[in-house]
Amino acid sequence: MAPTTTVETVRLTIDGVQVTVPKGTLVIEAARQMGVMIPHFCYHPKLTPDANCRMCLVEIEKVPKLQTSCSTPVAEGMVVRTATTVVNEAHKSVLEFILANHPLDCPVCDQGGRCDLQDFSHQYTPTTSRFAETKRIFPKEYFSAAIETQMNRCVQCLRCVRYCDQVMDVNALAPSGRGTMTEIKHFGAHPLDCEFCGGCVQICPVGAITSRLSMYEFRPWMLKRADTTCTYCGDGCQITLQTKGNDLIEVMSAQGAGRNNGDLCARGFFGYHVSTHQDRLLHPLIRRDGKLVQATWEDALEHVAGRAMQLKMAHGGQAFAGLIGSRCTNEDLYVFQKFMRLAIGTNKLDSSARYGHINGVRALRRVQGTHRWTVTFEDIVDAQALLLVGTNITEANPITGLKVKEAVKKHGAALVTIEALQPAVGTISNIANLSAHHFGVHPDRFQTVVLGLIKAVVEEGLVAPPLAQRAPAYVKAIGDAVKALAWPAIEQQTGATSASLKDAARVFAKTSRAVILVGQGVLRQPGGSGLTTTLLDLLLLTGHHGLAGCGVAPLAEENNDQGAVEMGAVAEYLPGPSDLGDHAARQRLAQLWKEEVPQAPGRTLMDMLDEARAGTVKAMFIVGENPAGALPPSAKAGEALEKLDLLVCQELFLTETAALAHVVLPACSYAEKDGTFTNTEGHVQPVRQAIEPLGESRPDWEILSGLSVLLGAPLEYGDAKEITNEIRSLLPGHGLLGAGPKPPRPDDAVVTKYLTEGFRSDLAARYAPAKPADPHAGQLTLLSAQSLFHSGKFSTRAKGLLQIQSTGSLAVNPADAGRLGLADGSQVRLSNQQGHMTTAVKLLDRIPEGLAVFPEHFDQDLRRLLSVAADPQTGVPYCKSTKVKIEKL
Amino acid sequence: MPKHELILLKNMTQPGYTGSLKDYEKAGGYQALKKILGKVQPADVTQMVMKSGLRGRGGAGFPTGVKWNFLPKDYKGPKYLCCNADESEPGTFKDRQLMERDPHQVLEGIAIAAYAIGAEHSYIYIRGEFVLGARILEKAVAEARAAGYLGKNVLGSGATIHIYVHRGAGAYICGEETALLESLEGKRGLPRVKPPFPATHGLYNKPTVVNNVETLANLPHIVNRGPEWFAAIGSPPKSTGTRIFCVSGHVKRPGNYEVPMGITLRELIFEHAGGMRSDKKLKAIIPGGASAPFLTEQHLDVKLDFESVAAAGSMLGSGGVTVMEEGTNMVWAALRLMEFFFHESCGKCSPCREGSSWLTQTLRRILAKRGRMEDLETLKQLCQNIAGRTVCAFGDAEVAPIMSTLQYWRHEYEELIREAEAHREKELPMAAARH
Amino acid sequence: MLKEKYGKEIDDILSRYPVKRSALLPLLYLAQREQGYVTEAAMKEIAQILKLTPPQVYETITFYTMLNLKPVGKFHIQVCKSLMCALVGSDQLVGWFHAKLGIKPGETTPDKLFTLSVVECLGACGTGPMMQINDDYYERLTEQKVDQILSDLRKTGTCPLKSGPFMWPEPVGGKK
Repeated sequence: MAPTTTVETVRLTIDGVQVTVPKGTLVIEAARQMGVMIPHFCYHPKLTPDANCRMCLVEIEKVPKLQTSCSTPVAEGMVVRTATTVVNEAHKSVLEFILANHPLDCPVCDQGGRCDLQDFSHQYTPTTSRFAETKRIFPKEYFSAAIETQMNRCVQCLRCVRYCDQVMDVNALAPSGRGTMTEIKHFGAHPLDCEFCGGCVQICPVGAITSRLSMYEFRPWMLKRADTTCTYCGDGCQITLQTKGNDLIEVMSAQGAGRNNGDLCARGFFGYHVSTHQDRLLHPLIRRDGKLVQATWEDALEHVAGRAMQLKMAHGGQAFAGLIGSRCTNEDLYVFQKFMRLAIGTNKLDSSARYGHINGVRALRRVQGTHRWTVTFEDIVDAQALLLVGTNITEANPITGLKVKEAVKKHGAALVTIEALQPAVGTISNIANLSAHHFGVHPDRFQTVVLGLIKAVVEEGLVAPPLAQRAPAYVKAIGDAVKALAWPAIEQQTGATSASLKDAARVFAKTSRAVILVGQGVLRQPGGSGLTTTLLDLLLLTGHHGLAGCGVAPLAEENNDQGAVEMGAVAEYLPGPSDLGDHAARQRLAQLWKEEVPQAPGRTLMDMLDEARAGTVKAMFIVGENPAGALPPSAKAGEALEKLDLLVCQELFLTETAALAHVVLPACSYAEKDGTFTNTEGHVQPVRQAIEPLGESRPDWEILSGLSVLLGAPLEYGDAKEITNEIRSLLPGHGLLGAGPKPPRPDDAVVTKYLTEGFRSDLAARYAPAKPADPHAGQLTLLSAQSLFHSGKFSTRAKGLLQIQSTGSLAVNPADAGRLGLADGSQVRLSNQQGHMTTAVKLLDRIPEGLAVFPEHFDQDLRRLLSVAADPQTGVPYCKSTKVKIEKL
Repeated sequence: MPKHELILLKNMTQPGYTGSLKDYEKAGGYQALKKILGKVQPADVTQMVMKSGLRGRGGAGFPTGVKWNFLPKDYKGPKYLCCNADESEPGTFKDRQLMERDPHQVLEGIAIAAYAIGAEHSYIYIRGEFVLGARILEKAVAEARAAGYLGKNVLGSGATIHIYVHRGAGAYICGEETALLESLEGKRGLPRVKPPFPATHGLYNKPTVVNNVETLANLPHIVNRGPEWFAAIGSPPKSTGTRIFCVSGHVKRPGNYEVPMGITLRELIFEHAGGMRSDKKLKAIIPGGASAPFLTEQHLDVKLDFESVAAAGSMLGSGGVTVMEEGTNMVWAALRLMEFFFHESCGKCSPCREGSSWLTQTLRRILAKRGRMEDLETLKQLCQNIAGRTVCAFGDAEVAPIMSTLQYWRHEYEELIREAEAHREKELPMAAARH
Repeated sequence: MLKEKYGKEIDDILSRYPVKRSALLPLLYLAQREQGYVTEAAMKEIAQILKLTPPQVYETITFYTMLNLKPVGKFHIQVCKSLMCALVGSDQLVGWFHAKLGIKPGETTPDKLFTLSVVECLGACGTGPMMQINDDYYERLTEQKVDQILSDLRKTGTCPLKSGPFMWPEPVGGKK
């Protein structure tokens, strides 16, 4: 059980007012809590105090010298004075020093108007300075395409440097030189190469580090602000979109705001230009004589409705299918599935949660009856042991990654990692470097490592006694299964020793708060759902399952994967989610919708394409999803879609799929509409309109609503809020928009069912060691994976991100490169039975030997090498890896 | 010939003494270590040092035994001892002599301290420029290890005492104990915020003691001859033992002189160091390294012990005594030291970082006869605004030259400024018109 | 690559510290021994050995005056200019070098033999004016001594005037 701790408190007096705060609170924080703002530059609640700016001096009774309130913890009976003459004089004098060398270029400084130095100067300093000497001047140096430094403005508080180290674990910023000539650099004259999280820009109290993307484009007070939710990954960061007219100027995230606590990644901070990209579709398009030509909304909608009515009359609702992307809001997703079920009359609908997220949800529902995490980000931070499996967390879920870093770096959590990574220091952080027990293996061996851990748990007597009592058969079955596995085979396949697995198992089992994070390396690989289930077994066996702060947490890749599932925009679920066949759920829906939900079963993405190919599906509505671009050519998605009699796409851009459509309807991006996203934790967060819709574009729900009217089954809503309210009436508790999610508890009945019988069905498959096909000589395993700087294909239209990464290259381990005679930048030809491509290689120590990783965002050529196989149970199309031959060109 | 017994410099002044292990043993070396290892409880060694009244010879003068006593008792993890050999206070050059001429005396001192505090690993942080000193120490460590005075199970006592020589790389601030620890950890040498103090969170965040070379070199003698003997030397009860004073500047015989604490500046300068190098009068004295405020000839009878020098408005500091003769420009002298501090300010704290550059520039301007009378008030206020407002004592140190020269030789500043004003009226009609 | 050439020495250095980063200054000295300054390749290699980022190595180097990021002459003359040496003629010493080598502080002779720097206190205040050339101290300098030092260094690469184990005043009984 989690220890219940009573927080020790301390009473002190600040400026004559008595306050009680938790022991260990810093004086500056205690003062802030009672509304007294002690001026400061170097202090930041996220960072360990450095007390270097000396601005926050206060008087403390019985202490002879003034003390820095940022580094002084409160003490019982302490008497603090923050505004006496002596203190004010000290503040003034420190400011005078800080201002001595500061250039007064406020009129052209992007920080002007929101600058701590300006504000404190305004508060304290007379209008003239006694400084009559020459100001320090640094030669202007180029820093990077995305981030600008103006070192003359620097107050040397080192917040940027400390943030880069303590929060990000990147260590890309070097305070170089010493004394007043200290300046923030990267590596000598090299331009910055880092995670580009923008944290240094955000945390700089003055205008020394700014974004080049918006340089000189604004004065802060001219900007309009909209607090909304980032659209790039499942972490669901709160961002503030700042706009001028209808232009997106910059993104920030206020300290302490959102699930991200104000932290962002490159995608969130620099990726905001997609919405206003010049290629945005501004008008509806109708295919006439084989060409898509501009049309009015009226014509386009009538055209769609007319064709749809014809097809429905001729073939019935079952000839239709629908697909929606998980970047859409919950409101879009909800209306979409309702549209398909009611206006069209089919359950053949699916979303991009099918690409992997559904694997995690299915496992959670199977074992514990929840569709969400039983933990929150706070539980990750507070965890004593964390197990990461195939998360690629820095790249895929960077902010969840920060929670893991915080748990390890600040709170000393034991980290166990099973990742396709090697510990190595690079330009971006590497979670394996923080890991106490790292198992660096290829994705096809993750399962073997997990089985090794379970075997260790069983053999080391770490199975929790209450479980052994509650489910002896389960424990025995698993015990038998892992006993049948031989250590030498496990060791040989994973390269890990049984001793190291036992060490990790002990650490994991013996803590009271344990969280398992499961990433795309599991969920998007064959057997993803099964391995997630097995990880739940691990949690059950060690007795953590069901305890507060413990759980298995599958990470969502897309920002609203979780919402897509909860809104019932997947083949197997109704909103809730409830099983399609769940009688009670159907009744509830029928009551609310005043119409029956169709009976026929759903169809997953791959099934739909098969049906389109076979001609049983004749029309498709595709909303913000691009199977022709996302699946490899070998899936022949394009060919299937071409056979359709009607393909309607709602899109921002003319994607590969939209280019095949009969009608293309221009949709709004998240910046132009209201609604909600549900993040990976299951927390529903607001999306707020920041700019007017571009051209004639409309929110997806509004387009579907318009169509439904024409189809004679009107789904009418005045605004997104009305949809949110309908969702809430259907799903009580949905979207309460609080500070954090309230995680569900496992459903005991479901757990019992799983422990008695449910576990058996696929036990043999789950507990067999993986049989990875070893590549032949000269072959590597090619992995198409997420980069930190992009998200799907969406972000490849963000100019800021393209400045950071504009192409893909093949990352390989230097040892492999040595064997293949490759150097950094060598051109290579990759080939297999499917096809071939050429690319440049990049040597990276953190890539394990035998693996070659290519960013999926630039996979136009790479896709030709991939084949696709759908999971027999969950229908997830696996197309992320293959074996390739590499030859130097 | 000295009128008193030499303790620390004794061996090396013997004819033919090379500082080798053999010579050191012949002179009674390592007897102290043998006397205590496995025979005297570590806590009793600490008691002995407390009783001797030994105070740190690096500058701050903190009682050594008390410092050791701050380490957490019953601490199970590793503890460290660092020998501060970063001798970098301008005017100070005694540790170099101790290390280069009698390295084993230092090593034995380290071994005794390491045993007393329970540190298995000790580091000698020696300033980078002392390449020869580092080599000599390395060689001595190897000799001592081979002879069983260092290493595992020293002299069969079961105690482990490893000593490593670690070279700094050119940064005055690394003589500050927490900056030293940062530097030893391979980082930029920026002082740490205290508390926590090194005694609980030192090297690698472990309990750590940092002691100066001369401080440690005293230990074998205290052990051998007893704390009472030591406590009777010098000016008891607060300033016991001898000090090696480093005399530099305008004297006939500059150099290191080991004398009991409590002799006067006059004795040190005129008897030991041979008096002024020319027939010019003595004008100014820095009694304790560059961080110590200047004194004047009025202070020649001040006793060289911690309390007396402090009472005279300066500090005994590191024992560097610099003498200046009549004719030395005090603004120039203050500027030279200010330039040093400007160059060496690590840049952590705003007042010191910005203040050192501001003060340096203003002094330069005054010396170049471009000053204004109001500059003097600004100088004084800036100094007051730096002192006591920084993480380490550097801030207090850097204002000492200006504050003290302004106190005793303000007229020299004023003369330069009056000349400046005379010029200014000719050169800058605008400025003149304003008056 | 340092590791190939100094593998054993590097291992020995690493063995002295429980935390790798402590070996940074010793390894930088080792790198500087090679070419008189720390090259970018060396910084990267050391970063890799110590599991640091190159910026962490770089920031550390720039804090310390003895580590060079640019090539210096074969003999790096560093004259102490702090007050104690200035009282006994260090400015004059700098002047002599200017006259004899034609270079000002911060400059290197065209033959890349000598680089002249003025530095702050080297801890030899009783024997000023003084200087350090590469690893060696030269103290109580006079113009004649400077001439001899320069000529010896040119001819033999070393000079007997360099200081031995320090003791001042010299012990009674004469010179070593």
